[in-house]
This record gives sequence, C-alpha cells and structure tokens, in this order.
Amino acid sequence: MTGEAKSAADRLVKVKRLNALLTPVKELRKSLNEQAGAARPTGVLYGMPVAVKDNICTLEFTTTCGSKILDGYRSPYEATAITKLKAAGALIAGKTNCDEFAMGSSTEHSAYGRSMHPLDKTRVPGGSSGGSAALVAAGAVPAALGSETGGSVRQPASFCGVVGIKPTYGRVSRYGLVAFGSSLDQIGALGRSVHDAARVLSVISGRDPKDATCEDRDPLRLPTVPESLQGFVIGLPREYFPSDLDPAVRRACDRAVRLMKEQGAAVREVSLPHTQYAVPTYYVIAPAEASSNLARFDGVRYGPRAEEAGDVRDLYRRTRGEGFGPEVRRRILVGTYVLSAGYYDAYYRRAQQMRALIAQDFRNAFDRGVDLLFTPTTPTTAFKAGEKLADPVSMYLSDVFTVTANLAGLPAISVPVGRVKGLPVGGQFIGQAFLEDEMLEAAYALERVVPATEEA
Amino acid sequence: MSVTRDDVLRIARLAELEVDEESLPILVEQMSRILDYVAQLSAATGNNESRPFVPGPDAIRFRPDEENPWPLAVGPDELAPVFKGGFFVVPKLDQFE
Repeated sequence: MTGEAKSAADRLVKVKRLNALLTPVKELRKSLNEQAGAARPTGVLYGMPVAVKDNICTLEFTTTCGSKILDGYRSPYEATAITKLKAAGALIAGKTNCDEFAMGSSTEHSAYGRSMHPLDKTRVPGGSSGGSAALVAAGAVPAALGSETGGSVRQPASFCGVVGIKPTYGRVSRYGLVAFGSSLDQIGALGRSVHDAARVLSVISGRDPKDATCEDRDPLRLPTVPESLQGFVIGLPREYFPSDLDPAVRRACDRAVRLMKEQGAAVREVSLPHTQYAVPTYYVIAPAEASSNLARFDGVRYGPRAEEAGDVRDLYRRTRGEGFGPEVRRRILVGTYVLSAGYYDAYYRRAQQMRALIAQDFRNAFDRGVDLLFTPTTPTTAFKAGEKLADPVSMYLSDVFTVTANLAGLPAISVPVGRVKGLPVGGQFIGQAFLEDEMLEAAYALERVVPATEEA
Repeated sequence: MSVTRDDVLRIARLAELEVDEESLPILVEQMSRILDYVAQLSAATGNNESRPFVPGPDAIRFRPDEENPWPLAVGPDELAPVFKGGFFVVPKLDQFE
C-alpha cells in the first residue's frame, strides 16, 4: 500500500466512533491503494484524500444516500465532480454519512445511525453533510464533498468549526448528484481551511455537457490571499441579526466584523425584507421538487424491493413505505400535497413568487454598492442529539440563515469565527452570482485574523 | 391549514407511499404543523404578477437535442431486483389479472 493511501485509511479508521464514514474499512483500504496507484502525479490535488457525501455517485463505493431504499446500491456511473477530482490526482476516501436523501440538519435522519459531533458526542455535527464535516473537523481528511439544498454544507461546517462553500447554482455540475430539489441542489466543498475547500471547489467547477444547468464557464480560478480588505464593502443584513439571536453567536460575529473593519473593509447595514419568508418558501419548493425526484425509487429499476407484493402498485407503495425513513416520507407527503389540485396556487405558486422577491432583495443590496453580505451561518451552536427530532419545524429553522442563498442561487461560505463554551461558531459571506473569487478573498482575509478556536 | 387522517391517506395514495396505521396520527400532527407554518406565505404581501424565479443563467439556454449516450459500468440486468429478457419484471396490475 502506498504511503498516502495507508495514512489516509489509518486516519479514517481512527475516527470510526464518529459514525461519519459509511464505507467498510477493508473496502476503503483496498480502494485507496488502487486509486493511489492510478492517480496522476501531475494533478493539482495529487494524493489528497477527499471524502464524499453518500448522495454523490461513485464507481468505487456504494451510494445509498443514507437510505434503506438504496441499501447496497452501486451506481453504474460516477458524478462529474468525482471524475474531475480523480483527474486532479485526488483519492476518493470513502462515502460519508448524511441525512437520508440530504433531508435534515443533524445527520440524525440517516438510516445508518447518527453521526457524532467530533468535539461532543452528545451533540449533532449538523446536516445533511454532517459526516463530511465531522471527518474534516476530526482531521481525518483535509477536505470533503457535501451537497447543499438549503445549507447542508455551511450549517455542518459551522457546527463543526470547518470551512464550507456552496457555489453559485450552475458553477458545479450536478451530474451524478442524486437529485433532491433540482432547482436548489449544488455540490459543495468542506475543508480545514479556506484554501483546502477552495482548491477542491476549483477542481470540481466548470462546464459539463452532461448537465444542462451547469454554466458554460471555465473552472473557478483561485484568488491570491489579499493584503487587506481595503476596498471591500460588506453589508450586514439586519434581518440576520434579530433581537433573539443567541448572544454568544452575536458576540462572535461582532468580533469578526470589527476585525474586518480593522482590515480596511467598509461595513454598512442593509435590509433583505423578505428574509422572514425564506424558510416557509424553502419548505414548499424543496419538498415539491423532492416528491417528484424521489418518484423514481419504486423497487423496479434499482435498489431493494418489498417482498411478496400483490400487484405493481402494491409493490411501489410497500417498497417506498418500507424503504424511506420518517423525514423523507414527511417531505414527500408535504410536496405531493402542495402540488395537488386545489393547493398548487396557495402554496407552490406563492412560494415561487416569494422566491423571486427574495432573489430581488439580494440584487437590490448588491446594486447599492455592497460587494458581499456577512451574517451568522446558524442561529445557535451545535444542538444536542434528539433535541429537535420531535418537532420538524424547529429543525427546519436551524437553516434560517442559509436557505436564502440556495433560493437565490448565490455563492456562500461559512468560516469559523470563534467558539462558545467550546463549540464552534460560523460566520457566513454571501456573494454575487459567479463572483466566488471575491467571496474567497474576503474569507481568506477573515480567516487570517480571526481567532477561530478562541472563546468569543 | 390542518390536515385530517383522510387527507394524509389520500396524499399517500397519490405519492404511492404506504403509511401504516401506527404512524398515521403523528404524520397528521406533523403535516398540519408544517402546513400551518408555510401557510404564512399566503398572508405575505407580494406582487402576484411577479415571474417565478429561475435559477442559474439569466435565461435558460436550450441546447441542441442530441443523443449522447455515456457508457454505464453495469447494465440494468445487474441493477434491477428482477430483470429478464431485456425487461424489468414487475407484478401485474390487479385490474388486468
């Protein structure tokens, strides 16, 4: 076994207790060894182990989406992001645990058991890309792929104290990402540092003839680390700093803002007036798209099927009823309801109109000379396991500061900005469409000065 | 906007999803809570004339409709639970039996 492959496998085995990796150790070691032998030495990520969320198709490992309905499923093709990573010399370091079909904010909705927060096993690592975030935070891999529909990279990155990037919609191919909400989904990158996450994003970005929604652009070019934030205008949306925001989260963000000002940034308050409707808008559109996308899981073409079904409809219903977990079932039902006759106008059409207004809010802010917006990534630090399971709406509200970027299709990044009682707090930059380079410059500058592991 | 047990069963039939009796009460309660929560959109003052948001490039650019088959590592015979003679095998529909 080559050195890189062996040490990557050893590091992943050490953090097995987190239940963040779904790939069996033996299979992982074998595959890493084979990949290391085949990796291109000239690639920009040569030898870098990158763990991959289990809703991104790989040829090396199974792709279960954290669901029993895809138990043991091996995709007949791989995601474009995976092809690009391998072409750059990266090693695909196994599949990471996630909420079933990326529906959740805690990784508690995985059919394969919840993942643990690396700093406190009684807490969740966030979700849905919680396994990816936990592995990066634990130092098992320098970077990982996650996916975003409403904040599923940034929220766990914030909870675990790592960097998480959601690119502009269309920046990265969705080919091979198992669809949840097609108008919202994007593959994102998590890393120990802005540079690690950005390097991975740069490699997986760019045009792809296999995805019609992927923008016809060259891969993202990484910016250099700026000397200061001189010339940057940072907007602070007042709706993201409500009076009931956790005081410690506010303290950490206030400190980050002060440091950005010291770096030369001009900071001004802005308003995004439709923010209060973002979560309800998201929880109409995302389940509606999910109910359609997940119709394909019926026990006919792939995955396990229910035994002894009476007729074909019985087969569909029993396979889906047995295969999907409670959160996925709930979202399929809500999605079907809001699209059904008599309710479409009241829910779905209204949500689409609100989505346009939310996107317009961002355009208005940027048109007034703001380069980037800065907000807390999440309203609290990592919560206790089980705390929000009984109340889905309370769980949904943990995405309150992240869903807007998905609804508007904008790039965003979560950067660690401090700790509260030992738990990480993330600060979020939201950028203008396809201006990830500007957003990364600001993130580099903040990362350099903020005491990310010190109490706020 | 509360939903009833019958509403949930009707929607479950539309979604081709079996819902067992045991989980029905909690589903009714949770769906009602979610739908009550998202119903605030109806009260929002918005422009009813605004066009739906389209993500991605400013306008959808349709590309030529070309067939570009990409090879698969394995075929449906290996992926499907039951596959015979080039067909996916499923039980019959009741009404045709």
